[in-house]
Amino acid sequence: MDTPIQFQIHTGSAEPIYRQLMEQLRRRVAAGQWKAGQELPSVRELAGLLAVHPMTISKAYGLLETEGLLQRRRGLSMVIAAGHERPAPKAQRIEQLRPALERVAAEAHELAIPKQQVLDLLGKLLDNPGSPR
Amino acid sequence: MSSFLTLDWWRAPRRSATPEAGLALHASAPSDTRLPVAVQGLRLGYAKNHAPVLTGLDWTLQAGQVVGLLGRNGAGKTTLLEALLGLRDPQAGAVQLFGQPAAQIDDAVRARIGYVPQQSDLFEGLNARQLLAYFRSFYPRWNEAKVEGLLSRWEVPQDQLIGKLSGGQQQRLSIIRALAHEPDLLVLDEPVASLDPLGRRDFLRELVEQVLDRGTTVVLSTHILSDLERVAFNVAFLKDGRIRLQAPLDELIEQCRWLQGPGAEDHGGELLARFGPRLLVRAPCLSGLPRETLVQLVTLEDLFEGLA
Repeated sequence: MDTPIQFQIHTGSAEPIYRQLMEQLRRRVAAGQWKAGQELPSVRELAGLLAVHPMTISKAYGLLETEGLLQRRRGLSMVIAAGHERPAPKAQRIEQLRPALERVAAEAHELAIPKQQVLDLLGKLLDNPGSPR
Repeated sequence: MSSFLTLDWWRAPRRSATPEAGLALHASAPSDTRLPVAVQGLRLGYAKNHAPVLTGLDWTLQAGQVVGLLGRNGAGKTTLLEALLGLRDPQAGAVQLFGQPAAQIDDAVRARIGYVPQQSDLFEGLNARQLLAYFRSFYPRWNEAKVEGLLSRWEVPQDQLIGKLSGGQQQRLSIIRALAHEPDLLVLDEPVASLDPLGRRDFLRELVEQVLDRGTTVVLSTHILSDLERVAFNVAFLKDGRIRLQAPLDELIEQCRWLQGPGAEDHGGELLARFGPRLLVRAPCLSGLPRETLVQLVTLEDLFEGLA
């Protein structure tokens, strides 16, 4: 059973919506959750679902196609490109996580929270990912 | 008919009954390359002794653009949108709608424009059904299926006097009225102020559908930034009577930074705003800044703070 392809966006962010979509797709594909051949919602469907301008969606899809993560099939539908059948090597996935952790480290410094307490909290969050943020 | 002369044109959007206007519209619309909106040197004030609201404003909307108009309260957004539709006489400057002077647009151009005013308080003595029948009589084209669909989806009571409807219901009705004749240009002045979050989301979806199906040009003023961020691919900031800046929102968020501290003044980019020691800079040369310079990303709210 494939993991369904669903996107979530946050407004008020310093990350533009098209980038949020790209990053979510990169992470899911690297994790091997969204796999080669899986079909993405059409621009129309996703624009309607998220209530965002269709050009935002097509921009994200277009850039991901250029990167080789998406492939345009006959007709207009997009699928996850071939070569993404299994999870990316762990080292590569860790690299993808680095920017987020760098932000956490910077904010922990700003808040003057000791290292061990940050690690404890991160550990708790990892054990219990469903907890409210 | 004479009483119509005292009404703004959008309340009675046809000078005369010419069925040809509708035919001409269908024949010419697809190949039309004229700009939906072109404003040049627009100057408008309300009283002699007061500073003018618009001070030589230039603005262009390309076909198919969705532009969010941002500005502080009292910046003149409503005045601008009204002048843009030819509902106010400017002291100087020119507005063209689809190539025609805004004050003299013909029926064919009127039929291509949909307008949701901030307040539409004239039709309180009619019910929704009567109001829509009234407007329907003016337009060569009218999408009855869409009207019926939206009326039931948005739960607008059809047999109650409009004056008795809630603010949100009146606003929904006003939006339905503006979409019914499938306009090529939609001018929306705070269209969602009285809608709840679900109503707003549904409205945004409808707007996205219009853009997808018809390539509608949209100008939308609202203070609800999260809505704007979703649907407005472009944003325009109105300040001091002019359009201070218009650009794709993605681009602005990616190019702009807050800078503060040593070296901030030598940013090498375009200074957009200054708040004491904090600078809002577009496209700064980050590699040229010393390590001690504080560099922060921006959100749409930051841009509003700096530019509106």
